[in-house]
Amino acid sequence: MSLVGFIFRRVLIIIPTLWVIATLTFFLIRVAPGGPFQSEREIPAAAKEQLLRKYGLDQPLHRQYLSFLANAARLDFGPSYKFPQRQVREIILEAFPVSAELGGWALLVAILVGAPIGVIAAVKQNSRADYAAMGIALAGVSIPNFVLGPVLVLGLALTLYLLPPALWQGPESRVLPVLTLSTAYVAYIARLTRGGMLETLRQDYIRTARAKGLSEPVVVGKHALRLGILPVVSYLGPAAARIIMGSIVVETIFAVPGLGRYLVNAAFNRDYTLVLGGVLFYASFLMVLNLLIDVAYTRLDPRVELA
Amino acid sequence: MTRLAPLVRPFPVRLPGSSWLAAALAVILAAGACAPAREAPVGAAASAARWFGDTSPPPDNVFRFNLGAEPETYDPGLAVGQPDGRVARLLFEGLTREDPQTLEPLPGQAYRWEISPDGRTYTFHLRPGLRWSDDRPVTAHDFRWTWLRVLKPETAARYAGFLYAVVNAEAYNKGELKDENQVGLEAPDDSTFVVRLAAPVPYFLYLTQFYTCLPVPRWAIEKHGNRWTRPGNIVGNGAFTLDYWRQNNRFEVVKNPRYWDAASVKLDRVVGYCIDDLNTSFNLYKAGSFDWCPSGYFPSSFIPYVREYSDYRHGDYQAVYFYSICVKKPPLDHPDVRRALKMSVDRDAIANDLLKGSRRPWGNFAPSGYPGYHNPPGIPYDPPKAREYLARAGFPGGKGFPKISILINTSEDHRRIAEAIQAMWKRELGIPVEVFNQEWGSYLQATTALQYDVARRSWIGDYLDPNTFLSCYVTGDGNNRTGWGDPRYDRMLREAAKELDPAKRFAILREAEILLLDEGPVIPIYHYSTNEMVKPYVRGIYKTPLDIHPLTRVWIDREWERRATRVAARKAEAQGTR
Amino acid sequence: MSTATASVVAEQTLASSRPESLWADAWKRLRRNRAAVLSAAFLAGIGVAAALAGWLPGLQDPTLQDLRLGATPPSPSHWFGTDELGRDTLARVIHGGRISLMVGLVATFVSLLIGVSWGAVAGYRGGKTDEVMMRFVDILYSLPYIFLVILLLVFFSRSILMLFVALGLVQWLTMARIVRGQVLSLRQQNFVEAARALGASDAAIIFRHIVPNTLGPVIVYTTLTVPAIILQEAFLSFLGLGVQPPDASWGTLVSDGARVLALFPWLVAFPGAALSVTLLCFNFLGDGLRDALDPQDRRDVA
Repeated sequence: MSLVGFIFRRVLIIIPTLWVIATLTFFLIRVAPGGPFQSEREIPAAAKEQLLRKYGLDQPLHRQYLSFLANAARLDFGPSYKFPQRQVREIILEAFPVSAELGGWALLVAILVGAPIGVIAAVKQNSRADYAAMGIALAGVSIPNFVLGPVLVLGLALTLYLLPPALWQGPESRVLPVLTLSTAYVAYIARLTRGGMLETLRQDYIRTARAKGLSEPVVVGKHALRLGILPVVSYLGPAAARIIMGSIVVETIFAVPGLGRYLVNAAFNRDYTLVLGGVLFYASFLMVLNLLIDVAYTRLDPRVELA
Repeated sequence: MTRLAPLVRPFPVRLPGSSWLAAALAVILAAGACAPAREAPVGAAASAARWFGDTSPPPDNVFRFNLGAEPETYDPGLAVGQPDGRVARLLFEGLTREDPQTLEPLPGQAYRWEISPDGRTYTFHLRPGLRWSDDRPVTAHDFRWTWLRVLKPETAARYAGFLYAVVNAEAYNKGELKDENQVGLEAPDDSTFVVRLAAPVPYFLYLTQFYTCLPVPRWAIEKHGNRWTRPGNIVGNGAFTLDYWRQNNRFEVVKNPRYWDAASVKLDRVVGYCIDDLNTSFNLYKAGSFDWCPSGYFPSSFIPYVREYSDYRHGDYQAVYFYSICVKKPPLDHPDVRRALKMSVDRDAIANDLLKGSRRPWGNFAPSGYPGYHNPPGIPYDPPKAREYLARAGFPGGKGFPKISILINTSEDHRRIAEAIQAMWKRELGIPVEVFNQEWGSYLQATTALQYDVARRSWIGDYLDPNTFLSCYVTGDGNNRTGWGDPRYDRMLREAAKELDPAKRFAILREAEILLLDEGPVIPIYHYSTNEMVKPYVRGIYKTPLDIHPLTRVWIDREWERRATRVAARKAEAQGTR
Repeated sequence: MSTATASVVAEQTLASSRPESLWADAWKRLRRNRAAVLSAAFLAGIGVAAALAGWLPGLQDPTLQDLRLGATPPSPSHWFGTDELGRDTLARVIHGGRISLMVGLVATFVSLLIGVSWGAVAGYRGGKTDEVMMRFVDILYSLPYIFLVILLLVFFSRSILMLFVALGLVQWLTMARIVRGQVLSLRQQNFVEAARALGASDAAIIFRHIVPNTLGPVIVYTTLTVPAIILQEAFLSFLGLGVQPPDASWGTLVSDGARVLALFPWLVAFPGAALSVTLLCFNFLGDGLRDALDPQDRRDVA
C-alpha cells in the first residue's frame, strides 16, 4: 500500500473518531453538576439569564449540540466561559507551544539519558551494571513529580541560588521543569530500550556480525540499535501526547503557562467550551502524532509494512 | 555441557543505583532544611533587622508582585474577585480614590463634592483638564454612562447590586424599568455629576472608589466589543496603562503620562504575575523575583517561620472564615442542634495552635474594627452546654445523629481545619462527621444549590461597614446559601438601613448580629488577618483592613540599606549616650 | 571410558536434557534475579504490615490529633515525627500504605477483569468484532485521562469505591491490547482446534483454554500496573481528588508533605520513601517476571 493511501485511510478513521470523542465529551460535561458563571458572590437572576442567553445555554440540548458541531468543524470553539474575553482557539494556540517546548525538551532529555541506560543494561544483562542502571532509571518513575520538583527547587534555587525557582522566562528557567518532567520518561525509555535491545541482540544477524569480527561497540551501536530502538519510537507517540497532560504538576509548581494546567482548571471551572476544545485538540494531536510515528516506524524497520 | 555447573554466585553486596540517588536527594533535602535564608543583616546594632531571601532591588523602576489567580476580566464593571480589582485599580480611577493607609475616600477624579442635608443627593465636581490615556477628556457623561452600563441587565454585571441605593437603579437592573433617564444619575454639564439616592447610605463614598464604579471609555467598548481590554485597545484614566498581557502568566502596566497626578507616580512599570500555587509564590519572593507577596499568597504553615523577618507584616483584615449550615434537612433545621455545633468548636485551638497564632479566633460574624460598631459577645466554647443542647434536640450523647459532611474546596489549609473540627465534633458531641473535599466549581455549585450539610465559607468586606457582612443573611439573599431566613432579622436590617443616627443604627445592627449568632446558620471560626511580605526597598505599601493597595505612591528605595544603617546607628548612639 | 561411567554420563545427560515446563523454567530464572527476589520479599513484608495495620502492637492511632503539639521531628515517642495536626506519622504511613496498596490492587483487578475479557474476546473473534472493539479502545486512548477521572469523581461520588473504578477504567486499555495480541497468535494453535472439535462453546474456549495461556504477559503487566495506579492516585491527591480525610493514602501524605518540605522535611521523607521503595519493588519484580517469562531468553551456551 502506498504511503499516500495509508495516510488517506488513517485520516478517514480519524474524523469519525474525533466526532465520537466530541460527542462523548459534550454530553459528559453537560451531565456533570454545576455550570460556568458561578462564584461566591451571587449573580442577580436577570444577569444570569442574560449570560445563559449570550452563550446559547438556554437552548435545548440537541440544538446546542448541533451548533457546537457546526462550529467545531470550522475550528471555532467560541469564547471561554471563564475568560469571556478570549476565544478558546486563541487560548489553546497560545498555551500549546509552551507545553510543546517543555515536553519536547523533557522527551529529548529522557531519550538522551534513558536510551544509553537501556543499552548498557541490555548489553550487561543481569550484571551489577544492569541493576544499577535500571535502578537509577526506575528511581525516576518511583519518585512523584511533585516531590522531586520541590526538592530540586529547594536545593538548587533557594539554597544555592543557581536557578530561578519558577516562571518560564529565560533559558535558565527551563532547566528545573524539564529535569523534573523527564525523570519518569527516562525510566520508560530505558526499560523499552533494554527490552528492544535484548530482543535484537539475540538475533542471528548480530551473531553473524560478531563472527565477522566487528567490534562490540559497532555491533551494538550500528547494527543492534537501529532495531532495538523501535519500541521507543512507537512509545513516543503516546508519550508525547501524554506529556502534555502529565505536565500539570510541573506547570503548577514552576508556574509554566502551559496547556495542561489550563485544561485541568477548565474542568474544575466547568468551562465547557475550553474543555471541549481542549479534548478535541488533544485527541487530534495524539492521532496525527501516531500517524507520523507509524510512518517513521516503517522507515526504520523494513520488515514492517504499511497495513 | 552439563547443567550441573554451579550457577550460584556469592551474594553480591549491591545497592541498587536508586539508593545512591536517594542519598543524594537526602543531602539536598538536608541542605535545604538546615541552610539559613540569605540574610542581609543591617548595621552592627543589636536590633539588626533580618530580611528574608534575596534583597537586591530590581535594576529599573519596576515593581513586581503576585496577583494570584488570573483575573477573569479587566473590565471594571464586570470585575468580581480581588485579582480583577487590583488590575482595575491600576488602570482606572473613580470619583474618589483610597488613602493608601486608611482607605478613606480621598478626592480622585472628583476634587470636591457636596452632600445634601438629607444625605440623598451627592454632587461631584470633576477636576479640570482630566484626560483619558488616548487624550480624550474625562467628563461627567462618562461616569453616567458607566454606571448605567453596570445597571443595564444585558451587561450582567455581578456587582450591580452596589448601586441599588440610587433612585430606580434596582428596577432598571431587574428589567422592570426600561427608561434609563429615570435612574437617579445626572450629568448637567461636562464636569458635574449628580447622584440621587433613594435612601441615605452612610458609606456611599466608599462605594464610589470600588471597582464597579470606575469609569470606562464608551467609544472603546463600542468599537472593540469584548476585546476592548486588550493592550492597544484599552483606554483608561488611571495611573498606569496596559502594556503587555499573557494569560496565566503575567501582565505589565506602564506609567500613564496623562494621569492628572502623574507627577507623584514614581514607578515606571508594574508587573503582576498570576501564580496560584502558594509555594511557588513564596519561593519566587525568596529568590527576589517578587518585591511584594500579598496576603494569602504564601502558605500559612510558613508564618511562624517568617515572623522573625522584617519583611513580614501582619494586620487586621475585614474578613471572617466561618462554616455555614444548610438548614434544609433535619436535624440541622433545629436551632438547638446548630447551637450544639457552634459551641463545641474550639476556636482558640484552631487559631492559636493549629494556625500558630497567624489568625485570631473569632466568635462573631461581623469583623472587628468598624469605628463606632461594638461587636456583641461572640459564641463561647462550651462543650457541656453544647451537649445539653444536643440532648434537648433529641440526640443525647450523639445517639441517632445522622452522619453529616463538611464540604470544603481543595486547599490544605481548609482540610486541616476541617479535620480538626471533625475530630472536635466527634469527641465532644459523639456525632459522625465526614470531610468532603471538592474542587472549586463543584463546591460553588453545591453551596449555591444548598446541597450540603456544613460548608466552609469566607466573607470579605467590600466596604468599611458591618452591613457588608450582616446583609448576607437576609432571607433569600444570593450570598446567604443556607436556606435560613428569619423575618425578625430582615426587619432589623431594614430598619437599620433607614436609620440616620449612626449610634442607633449600629445598635440595631448589633441586635441583628446577636440573633444571627444564636440561631443563625453560621459558625464563625477565625478572623482573617493580612499576612504579607514586603521587601526592604519597597516604600508606599501599607497594610490595610480590606487588603486594597493603591500602587500609585509606591517607589523603590535604592538607598534602603544606607538609610537603615543610619537609623540603626542613630538609635545605638541614642542608647549609648543615655 | 568404562561402561559404568558411560552409563552414568548418559544418565546425567538424559536427566539434564529433560525439558522443563515453562513455569519451572521461569521460576528458576526469577530466582536468579536478586533484585526481583528482594523486592518480592519486601512487598510481602509491607503487605503484611499494611494488612495488620490496626492490630500492630504499639502503633498509635493515626487519627489522634494534638493541635498544641503540632509538627515535631522524629523522636523516641514518635519515630517518624508528627504532622501539623499532631498526628503520629509512623501510624499514618502504615495506614496510608494499606489504603494505597488496596487502591492499587483493587483498581488493577478491575482493569484486569475488563481488559482481559475485552482483549480475549476481540482477539478470538477476530474480523469485524475485533475491529470494532479495538477501535473503541483507540478512541478511549485518545481521551485525556485526567478529564475522564475528574468527571467521574465529580459526577458520581468521591468515595473510595469510585476511585477504584475510575483508576481501573483507565488502565484496562493497555491490558486489552496486550491480551488481544497474545490471543491472536494463540488461537491458531492446535489445542484450540481440538477444543472446538470437541464442541466447546466460544466462551468456554476463551476463558478456559486461551486466557490461561496468556497469563505470562498478563502477570507481568499486572505487576507493573499496580505501581502506576498508586502513582496516579498520588497525582490525583495532589489535585485534591484522592482519598478523603481522615483517611490518608501515601499519595495524600506525600503531596501534603511536599508543600511543607522546607519546614518539616520528615513529613515527605518517610511517606515518600515508603512510596518510592514500594514502587521500585513492584517495578523490579515486574521486570524480573518479564525477563523470566520471556520464552526466547535462552542462555546461550557460548
